[in-house]
Amino acid sequence: MAVERSPSGSSLIDILDRVLDKGIVIDAWVRVSLVGIDLVTVEARIVVASIETYLKYSEAVGITQPMSRPRELAQADELERVQIENAELRRRLDQLGA
Amino acid sequence: MSALDASLFDASSESDVAGDSLAVAPAEGKYVYCIIRHQAPRDFGDIGIGGGARVYTVHHEDLAAVVSDTPIVIYDPTRENVLAHEFVNETVMREFTVIPMSFGTVFRSEEDVGQLLRSTYEAFTDVLEKMKDKIEFGVQIRWDRDRVVESIEQDNDEIRKLKDEITRNASSSTYFARMQLGRLIEGALEDCASRYVATVHEELKRVSVASRSNKVIGDRMIMNAAFLVNRSGEKAFDEVVKELSRRYEHLLAFKYTGPWPPYNFVNIKLKLEKAN
Repeated sequence: MAVERSPSGSSLIDILDRVLDKGIVIDAWVRVSLVGIDLVTVEARIVVASIETYLKYSEAVGITQPMSRPRELAQADELERVQIENAELRRRLDQLGA
Repeated sequence: MSALDASLFDASSESDVAGDSLAVAPAEGKYVYCIIRHQAPRDFGDIGIGGGARVYTVHHEDLAAVVSDTPIVIYDPTRENVLAHEFVNETVMREFTVIPMSFGTVFRSEEDVGQLLRSTYEAFTDVLEKMKDKIEFGVQIRWDRDRVVESIEQDNDEIRKLKDEITRNASSSTYFARMQLGRLIEGALEDCASRYVATVHEELKRVSVASRSNKVIGDRMIMNAAFLVNRSGEKAFDEVVKELSRRYEHLLAFKYTGPWPPYNFVNIKLKLEKAN
């Protein structure tokens, strides 16, 4: 017997599998980590006031981990560290050349 | 923007009392369900989250957000709320191509929703164009492990021999031999699962625009995939799913759902900037 198609509203688990973290998602992190940092990938920048509610919601369902740092920031730090190291190495090379 | 900025932080005090305030809090926020392309105001009826609020559109040029009025509260993903969110999207989808919003997004005002549409106008227009007349279907496969093990034991000489040997010498068969058998079966099961999944995926890919594999749910599931299908190709897709489910009916149980809004094919992460 062939499988019949069930309408999308009929399975809660399949709905949850989709609606909680797919589609358009407002990134709750940015509000928290905004201070003077230019984010690496910004698909769209929007200015709204509602993020407070989204943030609380995502904490409630465990999407965000308030204690850890967003990856972009970790990468930004890493980039900065490597850039500083690069500059230092270049300086030393120049000294050797001179 | 300064008015927005001023209201940035006081949402929290209201949301703390979400439970009691639903009845009394003024419905000043906007719950957003999805984005569509449409110029004239539309009313989708009293089907919104929070007990049947009126669902209507907020516009910016030819883009519209489908919203309903709501007090500024956090919506828990309860059965009722999640079903309401999905039902609105399903209703809108009957007539429009939608970009679905993930659950629980409440904007503070209509002005904020307009700002969202303005600042993402190009991106959303582009995505809507790409998603035009396309719908998502879910196909999950579960298997009956014991049955598959049986069929593996019949088909795989190495496993059959080892098993016979172990049963014949039940008392003397070593722990190692049993471990070996377990390992062989486990390996054969994995091969078997990936073969099934690859075949099914391949055949469904031919009748869809795009596909995506998601993490399986529970230990009986071996495939949890979503397929983006042209509305015009819906019937062809349907037939292939049914044919596959018939072909494997003794071993695999198919679950076929949809049409869904294209949740699995729209991945838009919006990052917010502080109003200044």
